[in-house]
Amino acid sequence: MAEAKILEPDVGFVKEVVGLGGETLKKCFQCATCSVACKISPENKPYPRKEMIAASWGLKDQLVNNADIWLCHNCGDCTTLCPRGAAPGDVLGAVRAYAISEYATPKVMGKMVNDPKSLPLLLGIPAVLILVVGLLFNIVGLDWLNFNPVGDQLWGDDYIANYMVDIIMVPTFFAAIGVFALGLKRFIGDMHANALADGKTAKATIDPRGFVQALIKVAPTIMKHNQFSDCGENKERATAHMMVLFGFIALFIVTGCFFFAEWVLHIDGPYRQINPVKWLGNVGGIALIIGTGLMIANRMKKTDQLSSYKDWYLLGLVMGLGVTGMLTEMIRLGGMYDLMAVIYYVHLILVWALFAYTPYSKLAHLVYRTAAMAYNEYAERK
Amino acid sequence: MTEEKTAPASGSIMVVGGGISGLTTALEAAEVGYEVFIVEKNPYLGGRVAQLNQYFPKLCPPTCGLEINFRRIKDNPRIKVFTLAEIEKVDGTPGNYNVAVKINPRYVNANCTCCGACADACQTEINSPFDFEMQKIKAAHLPYNMAFPARYILSPAIIGTEDARRAKEACKYDAVDLDMQAKSINLNVGAVVFATGWEPYDAAKIDNLGFGRYTNIITNMMMERLASPNGPTGGRILRPSDDKGPESVAFVQCAGSRDENHLPYCSYICCMASLKQATYVRERYPEARIYIFYIDMRAPGYRYEKFYQKLKEDENVFFIKGKVAEVDEDAGNGNVTVVAENAVTGEKVRQEVEMAVLATGMQPSTALNKLPADLKYNADGFIVNDFTKGGLFAAGCANKPADVVSSNQNATGMALKAIQTLVNR
Repeated sequence: MAEAKILEPDVGFVKEVVGLGGETLKKCFQCATCSVACKISPENKPYPRKEMIAASWGLKDQLVNNADIWLCHNCGDCTTLCPRGAAPGDVLGAVRAYAISEYATPKVMGKMVNDPKSLPLLLGIPAVLILVVGLLFNIVGLDWLNFNPVGDQLWGDDYIANYMVDIIMVPTFFAAIGVFALGLKRFIGDMHANALADGKTAKATIDPRGFVQALIKVAPTIMKHNQFSDCGENKERATAHMMVLFGFIALFIVTGCFFFAEWVLHIDGPYRQINPVKWLGNVGGIALIIGTGLMIANRMKKTDQLSSYKDWYLLGLVMGLGVTGMLTEMIRLGGMYDLMAVIYYVHLILVWALFAYTPYSKLAHLVYRTAAMAYNEYAERK
Repeated sequence: MTEEKTAPASGSIMVVGGGISGLTTALEAAEVGYEVFIVEKNPYLGGRVAQLNQYFPKLCPPTCGLEINFRRIKDNPRIKVFTLAEIEKVDGTPGNYNVAVKINPRYVNANCTCCGACADACQTEINSPFDFEMQKIKAAHLPYNMAFPARYILSPAIIGTEDARRAKEACKYDAVDLDMQAKSINLNVGAVVFATGWEPYDAAKIDNLGFGRYTNIITNMMMERLASPNGPTGGRILRPSDDKGPESVAFVQCAGSRDENHLPYCSYICCMASLKQATYVRERYPEARIYIFYIDMRAPGYRYEKFYQKLKEDENVFFIKGKVAEVDEDAGNGNVTVVAENAVTGEKVRQEVEMAVLATGMQPSTALNKLPADLKYNADGFIVNDFTKGGLFAAGCANKPADVVSSNQNATGMALKAIQTLVNR
């Protein structure tokens, strides 16, 4: 006889998953249609049927540390074929949201990011932070926050100095990286333990070199969005997601270039429109707006897929970033400097929110899903 | 008062549908003295049961039950049977209904001796609806070999053609009447019992199960015809693509049943039907392997459970807990691959078989065509019995998915309900 396994149901976990968009999970009757419907699910221990019963029983320890929840790209094929309307796609989305807040320290931040009531506070923090830091610099005599600059060719720097922006943003960015690093360390170890327990891998330990090689191997899959196009439903999501991902990558490069120009070369902006880096920035910004717009439209017209606060939070944030960024530039070119300053201020608030809250928000998937896909490759899971 | 209740039968009962439930209701009422009209839309009585090879769990042929019922009808002057008939309108109140019935022409009268000369003379062939179009039959034909009434029929498709004339000329008994017209009659009855039965759920609607796309994927009702001695293969089970006796067969349970995208309810009979059909295959092909893919095996009651347990002991019958959600057919050898996750082991199973049977469920006929009577239906199209109002009742599968035994029990009950309507009026 097999060794007796003592299950430890966590009712609170079930409730939280339901709250995060997994409200249909109790409808599941374990017919396993979903595991077959999924085109990217592996042959051995396929998902999401086993995740559905684990979620329903409150077996948190078999879910948050499970790489499989990240292999799912939420295309909705399983939900379409589900005979019970149990929406496994949405349930896995909810479990992922739970896993993100589980691995990000402090946990209270994860709760806040997933709670609409905390949104004013979350956005209020950067709003106040920029003003307070600016006023502090004013006290020591640095004119880095100026409500009334003079000149006829003004730009954001004249109101909120780039140096100050960087002084606020750079530590925030690295703090987020730190939170990710801590979470990731635990996550990779847990993933491996889960895979071993479930017989999903033959590898006894994680060899860092092999893991990095696996990461390099899956990078093209991620960039080319192969997993998206394998999905039956919602193939068109690949385009939108690509636009957003590459938009972000472009803007990250642009930010890096201008950071280098500012701090190392001491070349002041605004840069001319014929500057290729500027082109990249504009293209990235537009891609971000269009991609997010497509995603929002897709979610609005879909009735069978659930969209919860965690989804709208991220879409709103990204759309806000794109729109305020592009508007700042356009209004500056139009010469309405005071209005430009207000929108730029909003833009900075959103940028800070992006950096600071990413480890706790749905966007953290960029780290966890990448890690899970790399692990899956490393574990030689078929 | 007492006198009224014990008075000899006055008024009559109409039974709509001449399948096993309708026959039972009609006989139960007629044999205690009531006049009964059976209105059947097919040219024969017996309904779905007539199409079966065997009943579960005793595995006896359906003629066994039908034949005796036909005999009882024949011997009972109080039963009047209308075949090829459909009700057009039901007016009135409990105890006093006026029902308009349309009777379609059979083009063959009571002189018919079933000699078959008309069929021999007829050249046109049509797809046999009785065999789910798995074989061609003559346009002049006997619906099936045990058909009651035992009388040939001419398909409307040949009326006005040379073929009809040839059939008429071939008949020595002057039984072919090409001038027959559809007619409407009105009947006064005190109660109506609807035993309108069920249709096999249209398997082509279950997109991921490949029916209609792949030749060697058939339905469970088609399997009954293939196994039946009076079916298209004479009872040998042969797969459609190449008439090969299958060495492996997969049964796909809940094909459309318990599925909100199709029939949200359990059709009750399909698990037992597949278990029974597994015995058909095992009996004909001793080496054949059977794979039954299920969500839950439902074998209600002592006898059915025993039947299931017995089949579980057969080492060539494999039960896999997991619903088939994907199928494919090899264009070369015609084999079917069914894909499911074995929820017990957590492995995806890709089972190649020579033939797959979809255990499709039952959809009430009234889900597809509502009756011209003041009836209540549930969301799935089954008739809901309103006993407070009375007068109009549903029996058998018009009321809920059921096997033959439950249908007969229910039909007997509805015969009593109909009688009570007459007596208490």
